[in-house]
Formats: sequence, C-alpha cells, structure tokens
Amino acid sequence: MGSLLEVTDLKTHFHTRDGVVKAVDGVSFSLAEGQTLAIVGESGSGKSVTALSLMRLIADPPGKIAAGRIMFRDENVLEMSDEQIRSLRGDRIAMIFQDPMTSLNPVFRVGHQIAEALRLHKGMNRKAANARAVEMLELVGIPNAPSRARDYPHQFSGGMRQRGMIAMALACDPDILIADEPTTALDVTIQAQILELMIEMQQRTGAAIIMITHDLGVVADMANDVMVMYAGRQVEYGTTDDVFYRPLHPYTWGLLDSLPRHDISEKGDLCPINGQPPSLIDIPPGCAFHPRCPYAQDVCRTDVPELREIESGHSSACHFSGQPDFTRDVMPCSADMEVE
Amino acid sequence: MLKYVFRRILQMIPVFLGVTLILFALRIPGLLPGDPVQLIVGERELTPALRAQIEEEHHLNESVPVQYGYYISGILQGDLGRSLQKNRTVTDILLDKFPNTARLAVSAILVEIIIGLMAGIISAVKQYSFWDVVVTLSTSILVSVPVFWLGMLLQMFFGIKIKQWTGGAFSLPMSGMGSPPDLVHLILPSITLASVSTAYVARIMRSQMLEAMGQDYIRTAMAKGLSQRVVVFKHALKNALIPVVTFIGIDLGALMGGAILTESVFSWPGVGREIYLAVMQRDWPVVMGGVVVVVLIVMFVNLLVDISYAVLDPRIRYGGTAE
Repeated sequence: MGSLLEVTDLKTHFHTRDGVVKAVDGVSFSLAEGQTLAIVGESGSGKSVTALSLMRLIADPPGKIAAGRIMFRDENVLEMSDEQIRSLRGDRIAMIFQDPMTSLNPVFRVGHQIAEALRLHKGMNRKAANARAVEMLELVGIPNAPSRARDYPHQFSGGMRQRGMIAMALACDPDILIADEPTTALDVTIQAQILELMIEMQQRTGAAIIMITHDLGVVADMANDVMVMYAGRQVEYGTTDDVFYRPLHPYTWGLLDSLPRHDISEKGDLCPINGQPPSLIDIPPGCAFHPRCPYAQDVCRTDVPELREIESGHSSACHFSGQPDFTRDVMPCSADMEVE
Repeated sequence: MLKYVFRRILQMIPVFLGVTLILFALRIPGLLPGDPVQLIVGERELTPALRAQIEEEHHLNESVPVQYGYYISGILQGDLGRSLQKNRTVTDILLDKFPNTARLAVSAILVEIIIGLMAGIISAVKQYSFWDVVVTLSTSILVSVPVFWLGMLLQMFFGIKIKQWTGGAFSLPMSGMGSPPDLVHLILPSITLASVSTAYVARIMRSQMLEAMGQDYIRTAMAKGLSQRVVVFKHALKNALIPVVTFIGIDLGALMGGAILTESVFSWPGVGREIYLAVMQRDWPVVMGGVVVVVLIVMFVNLLVDISYAVLDPRIRYGGTAE
C-alpha cells in the first residue's frame, strides 16, 4: 500500500513573549491507507501540535510551521492555498478532539453541525445532509437518531457527544481521521466503547487513523505503528510490536515501566520516570531527555542524538541504541535516581 | 415556559408595590418642602374653605396609608391622578409624551446595535490592529464623558459652528423635534442618548467575540473546513451575541422610560423631560405617575429579554426539567 501521508522534518514553533517555543521540532513519519499510527508522549511533548499542524490549524500568530513537508497523496499541505486546505479539512482529513463537552457548538443542533460539513464538501442540500447526519448518528450507535439529531449538545452525555464528534468527522468519509486523545475526558467504561467504535468505523470506512494518546493500552489495541515524542522531538518510531517488545529508547522504557500491568508483578511497584518534562522554550542541550535519563553520559549533554534506524523500520534517537549491551533489562528504576 | 412567564408576572407585583410605596413615603407631611394645596391654588387667594375643599378633592385630609390605598385603586383603574399644575390627567400627559420618548429610544437603540455591534466585531476579528485601537480608545473615552456635556458639544459643533463655517448652508437641528416630526431632528439626540451604551455594546461585543473565538468548538468548525467568515459570523457570533442582547434589551427598557438628561438638553418633548419639569415644579402626581409607568415598562422589557434568552441559548429552558 502506498503512503497516504508523508511528513518530513516538521517544525512548528510558537513565538511568545518569553521566547520561541519549539513545540514540534523535526518530526517525520508516514501513514499508509487504512493504517493506524499512534503518537505517544507526556503532556506538552508536541503531540497535539503535530496533529493540528497536519491540518494547518495552528493559530498564526503566535504559531508558525517553520519547516518541513506534509505530503498528502501527492500534494504538499504546507504549500496549499487557504481554499485548497479548507477543501481538505473535514473532507479528506477530519479530526476529533479531546473534550467532547466543549468541542461541539452549544447553540446549534447536533444534526445541523454534522450536516454542515456535508453541505459544504458534498454539495448536499439541507434535506439530504440532514438525512445523512441522522444516518451517521445511527452508525455511531446513538439510539433514536432521528429525534436525537434535533437535540442540542447539552442534551447529550459526554460519551454521546464524542460519538457525535466521530459521526461528524466521518460524515464525509475522510481518508485520515486524526483523534486527539479522544477518550481522555471520558469515563473508563465509555472509553472502551469509544475505542471499539473507532475500530469498527475504521473497518467500515477504511480510514487511516492518527491516534494521539498518552494511554499505552490504547496504542497496543489499535495501532500498527507508534511514534514516541519527547519535548517536541521524536525519540522512537516503529511498529507497535517493535516498540512494545523491543523498545530501544530509555524514555520508551520509562514509559513502559510506568504502566501498570497485570502479567508482571515481580517488583510490585510502578516505576515512574523521575522529574518533569522540560520547558519547550529552554530545551536542555544535547538529548532533551538526558536530565531524567539514568544512562546519561557526557555525550548526551552536548550532542543532540539523531533519529537513526536501528533495525529495519524501527528507529530511535539515542546515542546508545543498537549497542548490544544497551538493553532495557539493565535499566535501574529511575525513580530512585537523583535528578540532575 | 408559560408557567415561567406567569411566575415572572406574579413577581412583578411586590416590586411594583415596593416602588410605589417608596415614592408615596415622600408624601409624609414635612418630608419634602412645599404645600400641595398652595401649588394647586397658585395665585388665587387661599381661604380655609377653599383649602378644605381641595383637601377633600385630593384626599389630602386622610392619613398617608389611606391616601396610598386611594392611589393604588386609582392605578388599577388606569387613573394616575391629576397634575397639580396643568389641568390635565397624568395619564393624558404621559400618553401624549410617550410616543416621542419611544421614537428617540428606538433610534438610539438602532445606533447602538448597528455601530456598537460592528465596532465590537471588527475590533475582535482584527485584534490589536489599528481599528481595534481606535475602537478601544474611543469607547473608553465615550463611557467616561457625561451625556449632557456630549449633547452640548454636539449642539455647539453641528448646530452653531458648522452653520457659521458653511455660511448657514449646513447645520443639524439642535433642539425640539419639529412638527411634523422628522428624522433630522432625531440625529443629535439619538447619537447623544446612544453614546455611552454604544461604547458598552462595542466593548462587550469585543470581549465576548474574543472569548467565543478561543473556544474548542471554533477549532471544530475550522477543522470541518468552514471558511473564516462562516466560523466568525455563524459559530462565534451566535454565542457571543447572548450577553450583548441582554445588555441591549435592558438598555431599551431604560431608554423607553425616558432619558431625563438627553431630553432636557435637547428640549425633547418626552416622558423624561416631563418628569424633570414636574420635579422642578413639585408636581408630584406627574412625577409619581411618570416613575410608575417607567417602572412598569422596565419590568416588562426585562421580562421580554429573559424570554429571548431561551430563544438564543438552547441551554436555557425556563420551567422545564433542568439538565
């Protein structure tokens, strides 16, 4: 399968009074048709900005896509006119957001908000678009859809609103669905339902999904590929199996160790990553992760590690990745370590 | 909804009684200077017999609570009493003046809506631009300028100076309303009357618009591929309008009740000026009747505003089951 989306060296910077925030600083990945890519990282690692950059939804000013290339099929999204990018948004690339409580406009009916995209992109008249909106609501499992379409968002529960958002995003049958932490604001039981729904809808529509999350459980369930981000940079990138079973980067190890698991109970305790993610204005020199990394050497404090392909299709941005004795098993629990 | 409206109307009764009670308390003898009987008699000689007759006619020989009872029962029959100065009923006088006040109020509200909303939207959409600075600066000046002073400045400039400079070729009428009433006479008074509220409308509109445009649902609308124009004028505007409509509605109530300062400066024959004149002449039935009518109008318009919320904001549904 060919590449649907090819992102090369994307840099999105925000110019603030305190300095330049390098929210995304050189990220590259590709997405094939019908595949799912997960972007993982702590809060503030640049996941959401990456996603918004793909649709050019970064507010300018203060934001600016400083460099890079975003090839959607054979066109560079960054070189499109405003009109071209608008015809892409909602039609070929759609997005659902983290907080369904605030992502729907409170003063318009849910059905109307879904129909809006259809009328815009598919040229449907009001009646056809409304009928299609009801159909979409049915598809995402809203009971009694014809009357629910006439409801306002506040009459929907959180889970139903997220279903409504999914219906809205998928209404035009997009090639790519970007989901920015779609389950974070929901109850655990509803989270599972929404994820199931997304998987089902993906099978039905064949849309590729970019899943932004900090929930590694979600990644394991859904993704074909995983990209791990730290401080606006990519630290590891590979297939889900690669990243989960043969992780290369100490940060990924840390993430995996801080995950509660039912099958491993040797230590009993979780082992969180010590310290805080760095300020994006003042990223540490060298490897951004070095102040929190138990393996940090002098070279980590001075040289920025490049993302290198260590095994076929599996890359890591650590100076030591690929060295035979540099493995996760020797990792001490960094929570016991003094942070520099 | 009907239940809500009914409840609101019931709530008006104590407010109304409270206002009339306070007004009536001013009639407790000795609280305010002047003798009503003397006012009615005027230049005529006041004999004890005449005094007794007048007191009898106006129930002035009764205690204040009894007088209040007479007054309230009069209001319920549509009788606001008689003017002490003019040989007319208060109802008559107010009915005569109210259309003029309404005319001025409506044109001021139009100025407020058109200029205020536009200025607010422009300065929000083009935040920190030249026009935003113009709007924020001029609105801060306008809200701090006394209305009567602005009225006088406008009179001086458009009524006198321009007339002098153009050799009498151009000027705007600076007082009265002409007969038959025409639009030219409305220009200066309605601008004066609208000035402060227009500035407030622009500021509220600006801040509401900016707030709305920072909301998540705006990002959703953008992600849908809608154009900037649709996002601003449909998705943001409808949300931002809710508090602005409230303000304009309440202001309409206040303006309908007569603008005492503006009407006086421009000799505008409205309810406000009538109340002002009545105060100067201690013609208390007119003052009271005027205030009572103003209170009724304000309460009624406020009710309409509250009902209009429900139309604009689907989250508000009165009397129904709350979320």
